[in-house]
Amino acid sequence: MDRNQIKKWLESPGKMGHKYSLWAVYFCTGCGIIEIPPVITSRWDAERFGVLPAPSPRQANLFLITGYVSVKTLKAIIKTYEQMPEPKYTVGFGSCPINGGMYWDSYNTIKHLDKYIPIDGWIAGCMPRPEAIFIAVTHLWTLIDKGMAKGYVKYRENYGRYRENQEKALGKLEWPRLFPIKDENE
Amino acid sequence: MNKEFKQELESIFRDITVNITDDVTPVIAAAKPQILAILRFLKDKGYGHLAMISCVDWLKEAQFELVYLVSAYLKGDNEEPGQEKITILLKTRIDRDNAELPTAIPVFENAEPYEREIHELFGIHFTGHPRLLPLFLEREYKIPPFRKDFDSREYVKEVFDKIPFVEDKE
Repeated sequence: MDRNQIKKWLESPGKMGHKYSLWAVYFCTGCGIIEIPPVITSRWDAERFGVLPAPSPRQANLFLITGYVSVKTLKAIIKTYEQMPEPKYTVGFGSCPINGGMYWDSYNTIKHLDKYIPIDGWIAGCMPRPEAIFIAVTHLWTLIDKGMAKGYVKYRENYGRYRENQEKALGKLEWPRLFPIKDENE
Repeated sequence: MNKEFKQELESIFRDITVNITDDVTPVIAAAKPQILAILRFLKDKGYGHLAMISCVDWLKEAQFELVYLVSAYLKGDNEEPGQEKITILLKTRIDRDNAELPTAIPVFENAEPYEREIHELFGIHFTGHPRLLPLFLEREYKIPPFRKDFDSREYVKEVFDKIPFVEDKE
């Protein structure tokens, strides 16, 4: 263990634990998932950074959205995201979740994913190299250290707005609300 | 696939164009009422596999072109001579305004999902299809989205671009 980090470990062991055990949801969408097998296997070995694919979203705290999001996939993404325990971090991988990418005028693709769920960081590129995932992970470490990766808090606080946007894109949602919605007029 | 086959086809069915050359896939162009009969004929000839049904929108001519792709399973491990061309294209054109076609399910049962897809994306009605329900799409569209007069950019502007960012509302 790095000696410089002993102070951090003693101050906030929980945060350091989250930081060095980012378990990623094994969620495949779009073409970006093709970069994930080399990342988690021996060539790039994501376990050096504590990143592992998790068997279930209920045991994961990192959500990599790898590629374009169709309307149907958005439904699955929201369901998965809401199942993950807090603290949870989301990273959009590739240009498609950012603004639609090459599907910018597609009739069935979600353009800006951060309208529907909070995103802590983006990896731009089409496709990003596997190394970019590690750059993202180390950036995420910094953000967690500084307490800036607060997407899940934002989701909880602005849940009414997110839910409204989700219903605009998907129609009526069949699952119950995750959090009580605050009345904005109060 | 040879000249005899072409002659046989042309003797049975009237008003069809059979285009068989050595270097491209054989193409049969036929009118709408003959489609099922030709498919049945091809099936009896050994072309027992419907690989796909596709659709082309010819906006200027106000027509849809339905493309049926049927292929034959080869007998045994080795290709028999004369059986190199195992795929046949069957084309028909229908009116864009009154887009209707009898379903191919009585001949090829696996036509069901293809026809559902074409119904959803092009708005062609297949008469006799048992369940023409939406297959892929979650949203509803005024014009089926694969028609050429569907302006996807306008649609995106109207629907997705109008959803505000969460930060913007504050």
